[in-house]
Amino acid sequence: MGIIFTRMFSSLFGNREARILVLGLDNAGKTTILYRLQMGEVVSTIPTIGFNVETVQYNNIKFQVWDLGGQTSIRPYWRCYFPNTQAIIYVVDSSDTDRLVIAKEEFHAILEEEELKGAVVLIFANKQDLPGALDDAAVTEALELHKIKNRQWAIFKTSAIKGEGLFEGLDWLSNTLKSGSG
Amino acid sequence: MFSLFYGLWKYLYSKTEFHVLILGIDKAGKTTLLEKLKSQYSNLEGLPPDRIVPTVGLNIGRIEVSNTKLVFWDLGGQPGLRSIWEKYYEEAHAVIYVIDAASPSRFEDSKSALEKVLRHEDLQGAPLLIIANKQDLSEAVSAEELARYLDLKKLDERVYMFEAVSAYDGMGIKESVNWLVEVMERSKRTESLRVRAGYSSSASA
Repeated sequence: MGIIFTRMFSSLFGNREARILVLGLDNAGKTTILYRLQMGEVVSTIPTIGFNVETVQYNNIKFQVWDLGGQTSIRPYWRCYFPNTQAIIYVVDSSDTDRLVIAKEEFHAILEEEELKGAVVLIFANKQDLPGALDDAAVTEALELHKIKNRQWAIFKTSAIKGEGLFEGLDWLSNTLKSGSG
Repeated sequence: MFSLFYGLWKYLYSKTEFHVLILGIDKAGKTTLLEKLKSQYSNLEGLPPDRIVPTVGLNIGRIEVSNTKLVFWDLGGQPGLRSIWEKYYEEAHAVIYVIDAASPSRFEDSKSALEKVLRHEDLQGAPLLIIANKQDLSEAVSAEELARYLDLKKLDERVYMFEAVSAYDGMGIKESVNWLVEVMERSKRTESLRVRAGYSSSASA
């Protein structure tokens, strides 16, 4: 996967600094996905303000991961991580149907952020290996993805544990960023 | 007072932005069409056809033609994904319906999906461009043959056109865009969408 990743993303941003945010509720599988991609060492930082950001630097692309939801007091600090964000990868635990409503609310709240208006959105309907996981159409419905009308989005069924679907999603992402999305 | 005149000025002179939905069943060539539109009308490259994968979401293309802005919404056509089409109807000025003219075995599926689109009240009065795509393939049927096959009953009150297109080599694209711009500019639906948008923006101001 590491090599494929190199091929897809190496020339994408030239020398520009780029950022891809990997977001979702806790336990959605975000870190597992990063490990699966084998792009480099995942560095966890636990700043004193109390939210945990994991960063993978890949050439000039920074992948940054944190949990949405929870304390509202730390949210203003999220904005430090918004500039130059090209894409958001939103990871959902498709089997956690109880929390899909929260996942939806958090997702749409983050899309409202002014500095993220230009970012394209890739959704991973993760944990497809678990019984009772909703499929891509059902997750689309639950997250109300149709409300997104000003940016490109795509949803992929993934199993981070098995490594399924991740490549297809990233392939879409690199193509979309390459073709100059709206 | 100023804001009143400003609102009026904006209403009269701002560039209209038209939303065009690109619909059709899977493998019809919607995204290939979108990419061709992008490469022909903007300085964006557009993806080459061999890099295009089935759409599972929304692709967007923005182009500008003779002072008119067009925004294309290309939605996935696989059966499970068609349920989200209607969520985009209300804001659409026109619809492009793409059909693979070289796949007669799928005409029936195309036809029933299109009939469902036409029945939806949120699309009332929206001009419809039906594209007989893949004309670069020798087995493709003509636009006339496709029209005869589809034999659509509910088209009478609607502004529509059939066009033979190859999203692959670009045949018919210019004609399609010109037609769309022309009909959208004078369609009643455009007027009503504009009034609605005007009301909502003055209400929020």
